[in-house]
Amino acid sequence: MYTTYDIFDDVLNLRNVFDRFFQEMPVRRSVEFPYINLFEKDDAIDIKAIIPGVKVEDLDIHLADNSLIIEGERKSDYVEKPYIRREREFRKFKKSVRLPFDVDRDKINAGLKNGILTIKLVKSEAAKPKKIEIQ
Amino acid sequence: MTTEVKKIKKDAYQCEECVIVPPVDIYETENEYTLKADMPGVVKENLEITLDNNILEINGMVTEEDLNEEDLKYSEYKLYNFHREFNVGRDINANAITANLDQGVLTLIMPKKEEVKPKKIEIKSE
Repeated sequence: MYTTYDIFDDVLNLRNVFDRFFQEMPVRRSVEFPYINLFEKDDAIDIKAIIPGVKVEDLDIHLADNSLIIEGERKSDYVEKPYIRREREFRKFKKSVRLPFDVDRDKINAGLKNGILTIKLVKSEAAKPKKIEIQ
Repeated sequence: MTTEVKKIKKDAYQCEECVIVPPVDIYETENEYTLKADMPGVVKENLEITLDNNILEINGMVTEEDLNEEDLKYSEYKLYNFHREFNVGRDINANAITANLDQGVLTLIMPKKEEVKPKKIEIKSE
Protein backbone atom coordinates (compact mmCIF):
# COMPACT_ATOMS: atom_id res chain seq x y z
CA MET A 1 0.00 0.00 0.00
CA TYR A 2 1.14 3.49 -0.73
CA THR A 3 0.57 6.12 1.89
CA THR A 4 1.49 9.71 2.12
CA TYR A 5 3.53 10.94 4.98
CA ASP A 6 1.70 13.03 7.48
CA ILE A 7 3.40 14.66 10.42
CA PHE A 8 0.39 13.87 12.62
CA ASP A 9 0.88 10.15 12.10
CA ASP A 10 4.01 10.34 14.16
CA VAL A 11 2.23 12.26 16.86
CA LEU A 12 -0.44 9.59 17.04
CA ASN A 13 2.21 6.88 17.08
CA LEU A 14 3.82 8.54 20.04
CA ARG A 15 0.52 8.54 21.83
CA ASN A 16 0.16 4.81 21.13
CA VAL A 17 3.60 4.19 22.57
CA PHE A 18 2.60 5.91 25.78
CA ASP A 19 -0.74 4.13 25.95
CA ARG A 20 0.90 0.77 25.47
CA PHE A 21 3.45 1.53 28.13
CA PHE A 22 0.76 2.18 30.71
CA GLN A 23 -1.44 -0.71 29.62
CA GLU A 24 1.30 -3.26 29.73
CA MET A 25 2.88 -2.11 32.93
CA PRO A 26 3.48 -5.25 34.97
CA VAL A 27 2.04 -3.76 38.13
CA ARG A 28 -1.24 -2.98 36.45
CA ARG A 29 -1.54 -6.41 34.88
CA SER A 30 -4.23 -8.26 36.73
CA VAL A 31 -5.19 -11.72 35.64
CA GLU A 32 -8.37 -13.44 36.63
CA PHE A 33 -8.35 -16.72 38.49
CA PRO A 34 -7.62 -19.38 37.25
CA TYR A 35 -4.30 -18.77 35.54
CA ILE A 36 -4.02 -20.39 32.15
CA ASN A 37 -1.41 -21.31 29.59
CA LEU A 38 -2.34 -21.75 25.95
CA PHE A 39 -0.38 -24.04 23.67
CA GLU A 40 -0.80 -24.40 19.95
CA LYS A 41 0.73 -27.12 17.88
CA ASP A 42 -0.29 -27.79 14.30
CA ASP A 43 -4.04 -28.38 14.51
CA ALA A 44 -4.31 -28.75 18.24
CA ILE A 45 -4.83 -26.16 20.93
CA ASP A 46 -4.18 -27.10 24.54
CA ILE A 47 -5.29 -24.94 27.41
CA LYS A 48 -4.01 -25.59 30.91
CA ALA A 49 -5.42 -23.97 34.00
CA ILE A 50 -4.21 -24.35 37.56
CA ILE A 51 -7.10 -25.00 39.90
CA PRO A 52 -5.88 -26.83 43.00
CA GLY A 53 -8.59 -28.34 45.15
CA VAL A 54 -11.45 -27.94 42.70
CA LYS A 55 -13.58 -31.02 42.21
CA VAL A 56 -14.79 -32.21 38.81
CA GLU A 57 -18.43 -31.80 39.80
CA ASP A 58 -17.90 -28.17 40.72
CA LEU A 59 -16.45 -27.37 37.33
CA ASP A 60 -18.31 -26.33 34.23
CA ILE A 61 -16.69 -25.73 30.87
CA HIS A 62 -18.55 -24.58 27.80
CA LEU A 63 -17.91 -23.14 24.42
CA ALA A 64 -19.80 -20.02 23.45
CA ASP A 65 -19.20 -18.02 20.34
CA ASN A 66 -15.55 -18.90 19.93
CA SER A 67 -14.78 -18.32 23.58
CA LEU A 68 -14.12 -21.04 26.07
CA ILE A 69 -15.74 -20.37 29.40
CA ILE A 70 -14.32 -21.99 32.50
CA GLU A 71 -16.68 -21.65 35.39
CA GLY A 72 -16.72 -23.20 38.80
CA GLU A 73 -16.32 -22.93 42.47
CA ARG A 74 -13.48 -23.70 44.75
CA LYS A 75 -15.37 -24.86 47.80
CA SER A 76 -14.01 -23.84 51.12
CA ASP A 77 -12.56 -26.51 53.38
CA TYR A 78 -12.40 -24.27 56.41
CA VAL A 79 -13.35 -25.69 59.74
CA GLU A 80 -14.37 -24.04 62.96
CA LYS A 81 -11.01 -24.32 64.60
CA PRO A 82 -8.39 -21.80 65.65
CA TYR A 83 -6.23 -21.03 62.63
CA ILE A 84 -2.55 -20.31 63.02
CA ARG A 85 -2.13 -19.41 59.39
CA ARG A 86 -4.68 -18.70 56.70
CA GLU A 87 -3.40 -18.00 53.24
CA ARG A 88 -5.44 -20.04 50.82
CA GLU A 89 -8.33 -18.52 48.91
CA PHE A 90 -11.71 -19.97 48.05
CA ARG A 91 -14.21 -18.46 45.68
CA LYS A 92 -16.42 -18.82 42.70
CA PHE A 93 -14.75 -18.12 39.43
CA LYS A 94 -15.63 -17.58 35.81
CA LYS A 95 -13.13 -16.95 33.11
CA SER A 96 -13.56 -16.62 29.41
CA VAL A 97 -10.69 -17.45 27.09
CA ARG A 98 -10.93 -16.14 23.58
CA LEU A 99 -9.83 -18.83 21.16
CA PRO A 100 -7.55 -17.80 18.34
CA PHE A 101 -9.26 -20.17 15.88
CA ASP A 102 -12.56 -21.80 15.16
CA VAL A 103 -12.59 -25.17 16.87
CA ASP A 104 -14.27 -28.47 16.14
CA ARG A 105 -17.12 -28.59 18.63
CA ASP A 106 -17.28 -32.38 18.72
CA LYS A 107 -13.64 -32.94 19.56
CA ILE A 108 -13.20 -31.25 22.90
CA ASN A 109 -11.51 -33.14 25.69
CA ALA A 110 -11.02 -32.01 29.24
CA GLY A 111 -9.13 -33.68 32.06
CA LEU A 112 -8.32 -32.79 35.62
CA LYS A 113 -5.14 -34.12 37.14
CA ASN A 114 -3.15 -33.00 40.19
CA GLY A 115 -5.01 -29.73 40.31
CA ILE A 116 -4.26 -28.89 36.69
CA LEU A 117 -7.10 -28.74 34.18
CA THR A 118 -6.16 -29.59 30.60
CA ILE A 119 -8.56 -28.83 27.79
CA LYS A 120 -7.69 -30.19 24.37
CA LEU A 121 -9.24 -28.57 21.34
CA VAL A 122 -8.85 -29.22 17.63
CA LYS A 123 -9.11 -26.59 14.93
CA SER A 124 -12.17 -26.80 12.73
CA GLU A 125 -11.81 -27.72 9.06
CA ALA A 126 -12.40 -24.13 8.04
CA ALA A 127 -9.60 -22.84 10.26
CA LYS A 128 -6.99 -25.30 9.05
CA PRO A 129 -4.40 -23.83 6.73
CA LYS A 130 -4.93 -24.67 3.06
CA LYS A 131 -2.24 -25.05 0.51
CA ILE A 132 -2.87 -23.12 -2.62
CA GLU A 133 -1.81 -24.77 -5.83
CA ILE A 134 -0.01 -22.57 -8.29
CA GLN A 135 -1.10 -23.25 -11.83
CA MET B 1 28.96 -5.78 38.36
CA THR B 2 26.93 -5.12 35.25
CA THR B 3 27.37 -8.68 34.05
CA GLU B 4 26.09 -9.87 37.38
CA VAL B 5 22.97 -7.75 37.10
CA LYS B 6 22.38 -9.02 33.59
CA LYS B 7 22.77 -12.57 34.78
CA ILE B 8 20.24 -12.05 37.55
CA LYS B 9 17.79 -10.51 35.12
CA LYS B 10 18.21 -13.41 32.73
CA ASP B 11 17.85 -15.96 35.49
CA ALA B 12 14.69 -14.36 36.76
CA TYR B 13 12.83 -15.89 33.87
CA GLN B 14 14.69 -19.15 33.42
CA CYS B 15 16.17 -20.34 36.62
CA GLU B 16 16.41 -23.78 38.02
CA GLU B 17 16.58 -22.64 41.59
CA CYS B 18 13.37 -20.62 41.46
CA VAL B 19 10.73 -21.96 43.79
CA ILE B 20 7.09 -21.24 44.47
CA VAL B 21 6.07 -20.67 48.06
CA PRO B 22 2.71 -22.43 48.32
CA PRO B 23 -0.09 -20.80 50.28
CA VAL B 24 -0.74 -22.69 53.49
CA ASP B 25 -3.47 -23.01 56.09
CA ILE B 26 -2.65 -24.39 59.53
CA TYR B 27 -5.10 -25.04 62.30
CA GLU B 28 -4.90 -26.64 65.66
CA THR B 29 -7.19 -29.00 67.47
CA GLU B 30 -6.79 -30.65 70.83
CA ASN B 31 -4.94 -33.64 69.44
CA GLU B 32 -3.26 -32.48 66.27
CA TYR B 33 -2.15 -29.75 63.92
CA THR B 34 -3.49 -29.84 60.37
CA LEU B 35 -1.66 -28.19 57.50
CA LYS B 36 -3.13 -27.68 54.06
CA ALA B 37 -1.07 -26.44 51.13
CA ASP B 38 -1.92 -25.75 47.51
CA MET B 39 0.60 -27.43 45.26
CA PRO B 40 -0.83 -27.97 41.79
CA GLY B 41 1.17 -30.14 39.42
CA VAL B 42 2.89 -32.20 42.11
CA VAL B 43 2.51 -35.97 42.21
CA LYS B 44 2.82 -38.08 45.33
CA GLU B 45 6.13 -39.60 44.25
CA ASN B 46 7.79 -36.20 43.91
CA LEU B 47 6.72 -34.83 47.24
CA GLU B 48 9.19 -34.80 50.09
CA ILE B 49 8.28 -33.84 53.62
CA THR B 50 10.90 -33.89 56.36
CA LEU B 51 10.83 -32.97 60.00
CA ASP B 52 14.29 -32.44 61.35
CA ASN B 53 15.35 -30.46 64.42
CA ASN B 54 11.96 -28.79 64.67
CA ILE B 55 12.09 -27.62 61.06
CA LEU B 56 9.34 -28.92 58.87
CA GLU B 57 10.35 -28.83 55.24
CA ILE B 58 8.04 -29.39 52.30
CA ASN B 59 9.52 -29.92 48.85
CA GLY B 60 7.44 -30.65 45.80
CA MET B 61 8.87 -31.28 42.37
CA VAL B 62 6.67 -30.27 39.48
CA THR B 63 6.55 -32.75 36.64
CA GLU B 64 4.31 -31.48 33.94
CA GLU B 65 4.30 -33.68 30.91
CA ASP B 66 6.35 -31.43 28.76
CA LEU B 67 4.67 -29.54 26.05
CA ASN B 68 7.19 -27.75 23.98
CA GLU B 69 8.03 -24.26 25.16
CA GLU B 70 7.90 -23.15 21.55
CA ASP B 71 4.25 -24.12 21.33
CA LEU B 72 3.36 -21.88 24.25
CA LYS B 73 1.48 -19.01 22.67
CA TYR B 74 -0.02 -17.32 25.69
CA SER B 75 1.06 -17.67 29.27
CA GLU B 76 -0.20 -16.49 32.63
CA TYR B 77 1.75 -18.78 34.91
CA LYS B 78 4.95 -20.71 35.12
CA LEU B 79 5.36 -23.66 37.42
CA TYR B 80 8.47 -24.05 39.49
CA ASN B 81 9.18 -26.51 42.24
CA PHE B 82 7.47 -25.86 45.53
CA HIS B 83 9.38 -25.24 48.72
CA ARG B 84 8.41 -24.12 52.17
CA GLU B 85 9.85 -24.39 55.66
CA PHE B 86 8.26 -23.98 59.05
CA ASN B 87 9.64 -23.85 62.53
CA VAL B 88 7.53 -26.13 64.64
CA GLY B 89 7.38 -26.71 68.35
CA ARG B 90 8.60 -29.75 70.21
CA ASP B 91 5.11 -31.05 70.78
CA ILE B 92 4.75 -32.98 67.50
CA ASN B 93 4.90 -36.74 67.38
CA ALA B 94 7.13 -37.12 64.32
CA ASN B 95 6.40 -40.81 63.83
CA ALA B 96 2.68 -40.37 63.50
CA ILE B 97 2.55 -37.66 60.83
CA THR B 98 0.31 -38.54 57.90
CA ALA B 99 0.19 -36.83 54.53
CA ASN B 100 -2.39 -36.94 51.78
CA LEU B 101 -2.30 -35.34 48.36
CA ASP B 102 -5.54 -34.79 46.50
CA GLN B 103 -5.96 -32.68 43.35
CA GLY B 104 -2.98 -30.53 44.15
CA VAL B 105 -3.88 -29.98 47.78
CA LEU B 106 -1.58 -31.43 50.42
CA THR B 107 -3.08 -32.26 53.79
CA LEU B 108 -0.61 -32.94 56.54
CA ILE B 109 -1.84 -34.15 59.91
CA MET B 110 0.65 -33.78 62.73
CA PRO B 111 -0.51 -35.37 65.98
CA LYS B 112 0.69 -33.92 69.23
CA LYS B 113 2.73 -35.90 71.69
CA GLU B 114 0.82 -37.64 74.43
CA GLU B 115 2.41 -35.61 77.19
CA VAL B 116 1.24 -32.26 75.84
CA LYS B 117 -2.34 -33.24 75.20
CA PRO B 118 -4.78 -31.63 77.59
CA LYS B 119 -5.63 -33.91 80.43
CA LYS B 120 -8.67 -33.80 82.50
CA ILE B 121 -7.88 -33.93 86.15
CA GLU B 122 -10.26 -35.93 88.20
CA ILE B 123 -11.25 -34.39 91.44
CA LYS B 124 -11.67 -36.83 94.17
CA SER B 125 -13.92 -35.82 96.91
CA GLU B 126 -14.34 -37.72 100.03
